[in-house]
Amino acid sequence: MKATASSIEHFYAVALRLYPARFRAAYARAMQQALRDALADPAVSRFTFLPLLFRDLVVSLVKENFAMMRESLARPILVFNALVLAAIATGIALALYVIPLNVLRSGLNDPQIQMAGDLAAKLEHLGLEDGLRQGALPASGNGGNIDMAQSLAPFVIVYDDQGRPLASQAVLNGAVPVPPAGVFDYVRQHGEERVSWQPVRGSQTESGVRIAAVVERVSGAHPGFVLAGRNMREVEARIANVQTLAGLTWLGMLAVIAIGCLAFGWYTRPKAGPPTHATPTA
Amino acid sequence: MTTGTHPATPLSPAVFAILLSLGEGDKHGYAIMKDAQSPQGGAVRMGPGTLYGSIDRMMRDGLVEESGISDDERRRYYRLTMLGRRTLATELERLDAAVSSAKSLGLLHRPLPKGGRS
Repeated sequence: MKATASSIEHFYAVALRLYPARFRAAYARAMQQALRDALADPAVSRFTFLPLLFRDLVVSLVKENFAMMRESLARPILVFNALVLAAIATGIALALYVIPLNVLRSGLNDPQIQMAGDLAAKLEHLGLEDGLRQGALPASGNGGNIDMAQSLAPFVIVYDDQGRPLASQAVLNGAVPVPPAGVFDYVRQHGEERVSWQPVRGSQTESGVRIAAVVERVSGAHPGFVLAGRNMREVEARIANVQTLAGLTWLGMLAVIAIGCLAFGWYTRPKAGPPTHATPTA
Repeated sequence: MTTGTHPATPLSPAVFAILLSLGEGDKHGYAIMKDAQSPQGGAVRMGPGTLYGSIDRMMRDGLVEESGISDDERRRYYRLTMLGRRTLATELERLDAAVSSAKSLGLLHRPLPKGGRS
């Protein structure tokens, strides 16, 4: 069917409504006139012009609407507000992660602090070796050595001043692990240290077991160290859950901020008005 | 007089064709489209959307402006600003240098194969 000039103009007038309001207000009449001129020009073949017109319409519609979106949403105040809100959301999410992390991690030391303190005081009073001979270090609750890798029960290990184990309620792969020498050096100077300790196997490979350890200095004629520890497995699983929840909360807040800012930017976009033409030269 | 920063060259084909067309004098949209389509005007086929989108950006850049003169209220006439004229001159010099270079390398004015287009 041969398209008549009026039907093409009608289609074009309808399509012009898809342009951004400002652009439409500024150029719609001029564009319609350019089309009218082209259709009235005997030198222009409609067979070649109509595909060009359609392609031009699609490309420029995308381009002008995209430019309008960019102008609407890339306003400095909007970007600034979005960044401030994102920073606040990040702060809240970090607090949601850090506060429970600290509560969980510090709570993990509670029995060890008491156990290490009590035993260190007793050994100081009785003497390190005499105290051990007199049973200052009781057997573990299960009657045998605690397996550090499996059990969540707290345990105590006593070391001499050189860091050699003297007595232990727990083992890892059949041996009593020793913390790094730096831990003992620190305790010699400060009296106590609380560390997350990853004991190594005899072959010095990572065991994958993490222990919340409290190390106390035993003073006296025969000084030494008391280490009270506990497997961190369950608490670390809880910390991982908190991390996941904080991460999801953060992403959710960022999504809400992004959607809110986009909606606000769209709602407050510059409305159609007279085109901002340059001042004509004299 | 309109002032502005000098737009970076090379210009897009549409912008170059519009500037070149208006270099001849004040023109309305369809006249610019026809000029641009001619081989002397850059052989750029553009429709009203591309034309007025380009003009909109060129007006913001201070390259063209409305002349304020019209023989028909539906037609809007445009003309070059001083900046537009300088930009066009810069682009033409750039192209001229490229053409001269091509000529010196013997890349132009070669006999075309039989049946080829000029």
